[in-house]
Amino acid sequence: MATTATISISSPDLMPGSSLSIAANTTLTKAGVTADLTQMETGVISLVSGTEYRLGPLATEMADDAHDIASYLYICNTTTEDATYYIDWGINETMIGRLYAGDWMFIPWNASDDAAEIEIEPQGGTNTIEYAFFNSDFILPTAAA
Amino acid sequence: MATLTPTLTLASTDTGSDELSLSVTDSLNITKAIISPSKVALSTGDLTLFAAASYTKSYVYLKNTDDTIAMDIDFGTQLSIQLAAGEFAFFPWESSGNILAKSASGTPYLEYAIFEA
Repeated sequence: MATTATISISSPDLMPGSSLSIAANTTLTKAGVTADLTQMETGVISLVSGTEYRLGPLATEMADDAHDIASYLYICNTTTEDATYYIDWGINETMIGRLYAGDWMFIPWNASDDAAEIEIEPQGGTNTIEYAFFNSDFILPTAAA
Repeated sequence: MATLTPTLTLASTDTGSDELSLSVTDSLNITKAIISPSKVALSTGDLTLFAAASYTKSYVYLKNTDDTIAMDIDFGTQLSIQLAAGEFAFFPWESSGNILAKSASGTPYLEYAIFEA
């Protein structure tokens, strides 16, 4: 069996005279091989605005070369509030985009080093996200004491 | 104004005893520029795929159409996304920095589309 991601993007009215229909699918595999991914972390979290949070592990919390490839991230902002509510997302202090109510994203994440952490910052008030992180070899942090 | 409907489905029987079957969709208002699915050959040098100055809030679709060669997608100078063979990405972009693309080797084709809200 396998872990798969499938996307479709459609629009009946984006281009005059023709409809838009994009479809793609991929099987999520371990780094550089064809073996299926077997590790996943998923959850739902309510996030208070005014703080930047890290989502997912650091590169050093992933074994071997798993951080360079074969890490996949899905985030959906499930809030139903107005456009003043959104989540800024970025990597290594580089703000990339905004997830408004109902918006989602899916990327194969290249966590090349600890600086390449996924950062999210809710705006407008409490936003709730649904997320899933897939990786072949993430490990739990060592206990502090 | 046009409506764009992106849908993602994640499925797995490997990641737990409870089968994963997640599907999410969105309805996006597109009011400005679009580039419908197009292809470009990459090289090992950075290609400015989307210049920040040319767009505002947008949604970006990328797919590596090659069977073997990986691609790096950077935002400014930050290495952020690696598309292995056949992989895709979809994400909102605030055009805060250029989106750059390059191949790990050779000249594989990147499929791309952008929809400006």
